[in-house]
Amino acid sequence: MTEPTPSEYVIQTEALCKRYGAKLALDHLDLRIASGRIHAIVGANGAGKSTLFRILLGFLPPSSGRASILGRDSQHLTPTDRGRIGFVNEEHTLPNWMRVAAVTAMQRHHYPRWDQRAFDEVIGHYHVLPEQKVGQLSRGERAGFNLALTLAQRPELLVLDEPTLGLDVVAKRAFLESLLYSNAAGQCTVIYCSHQMEEVERVADNLIILERGHLMNMSAPDDFCARVMHWVADIPFAGPAPASVPGLLQVQRIDGLHHYLVLDQDEDFADFLKASGARSVQSMPVSLDRAVNGFLAKNHAVPAAA
Amino acid sequence: MARTQALLIQIATGDPRPISKQIVDGVRMKIATGELAVGAQLPSVRGLAQQLTINPNTVAKAYAELTGEGWLESRQGLGLYVATPRQRLSNAERDRRMDEAVQGFVHEVAALDYPPERALSRLERALRVLAPKKTA
Repeated sequence: MTEPTPSEYVIQTEALCKRYGAKLALDHLDLRIASGRIHAIVGANGAGKSTLFRILLGFLPPSSGRASILGRDSQHLTPTDRGRIGFVNEEHTLPNWMRVAAVTAMQRHHYPRWDQRAFDEVIGHYHVLPEQKVGQLSRGERAGFNLALTLAQRPELLVLDEPTLGLDVVAKRAFLESLLYSNAAGQCTVIYCSHQMEEVERVADNLIILERGHLMNMSAPDDFCARVMHWVADIPFAGPAPASVPGLLQVQRIDGLHHYLVLDQDEDFADFLKASGARSVQSMPVSLDRAVNGFLAKNHAVPAAA
Repeated sequence: MARTQALLIQIATGDPRPISKQIVDGVRMKIATGELAVGAQLPSVRGLAQQLTINPNTVAKAYAELTGEGWLESRQGLGLYVATPRQRLSNAERDRRMDEAVQGFVHEVAALDYPPERALSRLERALRVLAPKKTA
């Protein structure tokens, strides 16, 4: 694969920083997201996701560095630029007092590239009637209506921020189906922020992990998963000092056995454990959920006495 | 035109095996047991993705691997079909994989403290599903 040219990136940041008082929410972030496909962004709360999107969409100025979206400087977006970006948040904020038909008419008027077929295709997954008021829709129906409105804009970039939070299993499935198999969604680049690894595993082509304002991973989910291994060692007495364990993400002592979750370690890790006094060692691959959680838990603050 | 045969496989998220690998394993098993006969047409990439509620690119990746290994063949403009069996791997690679499979099995059985004779008879019964198509 050839390296994409700058215009082939939908999102590009260079040394992007955002400081809130003494805290850096984004710390010299260099992020380049290629055009096309579905990119999942995961990160613990406070990893900088919301700040990143506020800056990218021009709602917040960076402290330093640069950010561009669809090749435009985020700080100078025109209404036309914004029309090329679809944004769906977890609240699915829509005016409760308006009828579905009126909201649809309003959006159609706002967006010159409005695609009625794309709207109909997505809304067909839900029992939403034009005369219903938005406030009368269930959470799942509101999510579907919101996605239909957004896809009908024919965005080049679709940003979904925890779109299925609080949806029941049926509504979640309908949402994923309308996202994965509708023609309109297939034609844009999708950024999918979620904490739900089950969904990330189903939808994502690319896994981006942010942590404390840094980019920590950018690869196919399977490739990331393959970097993490779970080793179990039978070490009498104390194991090696955690600081000396290569690639350590997590260590637990369960029923006298040491469980290590490690990153980027090959078979040599068995030798390390044996040299540390292990009588027996075993290893196994882990699920994406476990790999990501172990990775994010690594630098999670714990009380000093824990 | 041959009709697409239903492909009754399950995938699970939260499994150490990536979803594409689960599809590869599932299809290989269906072919090895004869449930998918030579010449049967597989679901389209989009169709199987929809059936499993996953990204179509994941199905495409699994199909590419199966095609690369010679389990499936694509017919221009028509889709993917179960290929006529041939020796799909070099002898050395085949031996290596067999060793790996045997070792994995023995490790699991050892942990169960199961008498070898009983383990063998169970294994024999389990392998019998492969019998209808033992020439490869």
